[in-house]
Amino acid sequence: MSVAPPRPRSHRAPIVARLLVGRAVEALVVVTALASLVFFALRMLPGDPARLVLGDEASAVELARVRALLHLDEPLVAQYARFLRGLLTLDLGDSFRRPGTAAMALVARALAPTARLAGVSVALGAAAGLLAAVLASGPWLSPRARGWIERILVGAAAAPLVAFAPVVTWCLAARARIVPLPGDPEAGAAGLLFASALLAVPLAAHVGRIARAALHDVERAPFLAVARAKGATPARVWILHALPSVAGPVVTVVAAQLGALLGGAVVLERMFERAGLGTLILEAYSTRDLPVLEGAVVAAGLLFVVAQALGTAAHAAIDPRARGSR
Amino acid sequence: MSRRWLDLAPLGALVVAAAGALALAREAPGRLDPERAWCSPSGARPLGCGEAGVDLTALVASAELRVVVLAVSVALVGFALGTPLGAAAALARGRVERAVERACDLVQAFPSFILALVVLSAVRAPSRVHIGAVFALTAWAPFARLALSQTRVLRDAAFVEAAFALGRSRPAVVGLHVLPNLLAVVAVQLGSTAAAIVVSEAALGFVGLGPRGGVSLGAVLDQGVAAMLRAPHVLGVGAFAVAATSAAMLVAGRAAAARR
Repeated sequence: MSVAPPRPRSHRAPIVARLLVGRAVEALVVVTALASLVFFALRMLPGDPARLVLGDEASAVELARVRALLHLDEPLVAQYARFLRGLLTLDLGDSFRRPGTAAMALVARALAPTARLAGVSVALGAAAGLLAAVLASGPWLSPRARGWIERILVGAAAAPLVAFAPVVTWCLAARARIVPLPGDPEAGAAGLLFASALLAVPLAAHVGRIARAALHDVERAPFLAVARAKGATPARVWILHALPSVAGPVVTVVAAQLGALLGGAVVLERMFERAGLGTLILEAYSTRDLPVLEGAVVAAGLLFVVAQALGTAAHAAIDPRARGSR
Repeated sequence: MSRRWLDLAPLGALVVAAAGALALAREAPGRLDPERAWCSPSGARPLGCGEAGVDLTALVASAELRVVVLAVSVALVGFALGTPLGAAAALARGRVERAVERACDLVQAFPSFILALVVLSAVRAPSRVHIGAVFALTAWAPFARLALSQTRVLRDAAFVEAAFALGRSRPAVVGLHVLPNLLAVVAVQLGSTAAAIVVSEAALGFVGLGPRGGVSLGAVLDQGVAAMLRAPHVLGVGAFAVAATSAAMLVAGRAAAARR
C-alpha cells in the first residue's frame, strides 16, 4: 500500500505567510474604507460642518475660525491627505471641545474600558454557550431538559439587548439588589462582570446554537466511539474529545458577532453611563467634536478588524482545513 | 385560517391596536403636561405617563406605527437591491462573484450601529428618511448572500442553460428565470431584516440619535431607564413594545416562506 508522503514543512510557511498578508491587506482596506467614509460623510453630505459644530446662530467670524481650525478652507483632496497622514501618525489634532488634549489620547483612554467589557463578554459568552451546548448534547440531562436548553438558546438569540438589559437590571439591581448597578462608580469588578454578562447573553445564545449543531454532527463520529470504548467518562468524551473538533465554527461565530458586540457595548455604556469608546463617540457626536469622532470611529473599526483577524488566525491554528481553503 | 394568516396575525394585531389607540387618543403624541409626569397607568391613560407628563399610550402607538413603516420599507429596499445583485453575481461567476461575497461578509460583520453613528453625525437632526437610508446601506447584504447561495444551485439547472442557449441575455435570465425561483427562499429574510431594523431604530433612539421629535420606542426606553426607580412602568412599556414589535416582524417573515 502506498502512502502519500507528508507535505514538507517548508511548504506550509508560504501558505501561512500568504494568509497573513492577505488578511493584513484586507484589514487595511476595511479600515481605510471606514476612515474615508467618516471623512467624506462629515464633509460632503449636505450642510456646513462648521455650522454643525457651532450651530445656526454662529457669526461669520466664528465660522471662519472653525473652518481654519479644522482645515475646512483647504481643497478636499488636501484635507483628505492631511486626514490620512494624521491617521498614520496617530495625530488627528486636538479635541475641539477640550483644547490642548490630543483627540487620539482621548480615544486611547476610552479604548481600554471598552476592550475590557468586550473581552469579558466574549469569555463569558463563549463559556456559557459551550456549557449549554455540551449539556444539551451529553447524557447528563433528560431529553425534556435538553429540549428546554435549546428553546432557551433560541429565545435568548432573538431577545433584543436594548429591551432586556434594562429590565434585567431593574429586577436584579434595583429591586432584588443582588448585583450592583453597573454604572455605580463603586461597583468595580462586580459592575463590569454584570454589564459583561448582559452583553454576553446574545453571544452565548449564538455560540450555544452553533456548537450544539456541530456537536450533533460529530456525536456518532468514530473517534468518539473509540474514546468511549477505551473507557473515557462522558465528561472526558464531550469536553476533551468532542469540543476541540467544533472549535472552528465557534471561533467563526464569535468573530462574526463582534460587530453586534461593539454596537451593544455602545448601548450598554450609554445605559449604565460607563466610560468607554461608545460614550466617547456619543459625546463627540453630540458636541460635534470632529477630530475625536473621526478617531473614535476609526479606532472602533480597528478593534473590529484586529479581533476578526485574531479569530481567523485562531481558526487556522485549530483547524488545518481552514488554512487550505483560503 | 391558513398558516400564512396566522403568522401575520401578531403584526396585524399590533398595527390595529396602535392605530386604534392613536385614533382614540385625546391628545397629540408629544403633548407635555408636567403636572402628570411619571403618572401610573389608569383608565384614562392605560400605559401611564412618561417624562414631563407625555401620554405613553399615544407616544408608543405613534412610535410603533412609524417604526413598522420604516422597518418594512427598509427591508423591501434591501430585498429589491440585494436579491438581483446576488443572483447576477452568482451567474457571472469568477471575480464578480467573489467580490460580492466578500462585500457581503464585510457589511454583515461590520458594526452597522457604528456606521449609522458616522453617517447620522453629518446631519443635525436626523429624520426617519435619514435613518432609513443608513439602514438601507447594509440591509441589502443578507439578501445578496442568500441569492448568491441559491443561484449557485440554480445556475446549472437545465432551464437556465436552456434560456442561455436560446440567446437570452444575462439580465433577462436573472429577471425572468432565476429571480422567480429565488423569491420563496429569499423572502423569508424580510422578517429578520425588519426585526433587526426595529431593534436598531430603538437603539439609536435610546442613545439619542433617534428621529427628531422624539417619537421613537428607543426614546421611551431612555425615559424608562432614567426613571427606573421612580416609574418602572415606563421601562416595562418601552421594553415590551420593542420586544413585541421585533418578535411580530420575525413571525410575519415566516408568512413569506409559505409556497406561493
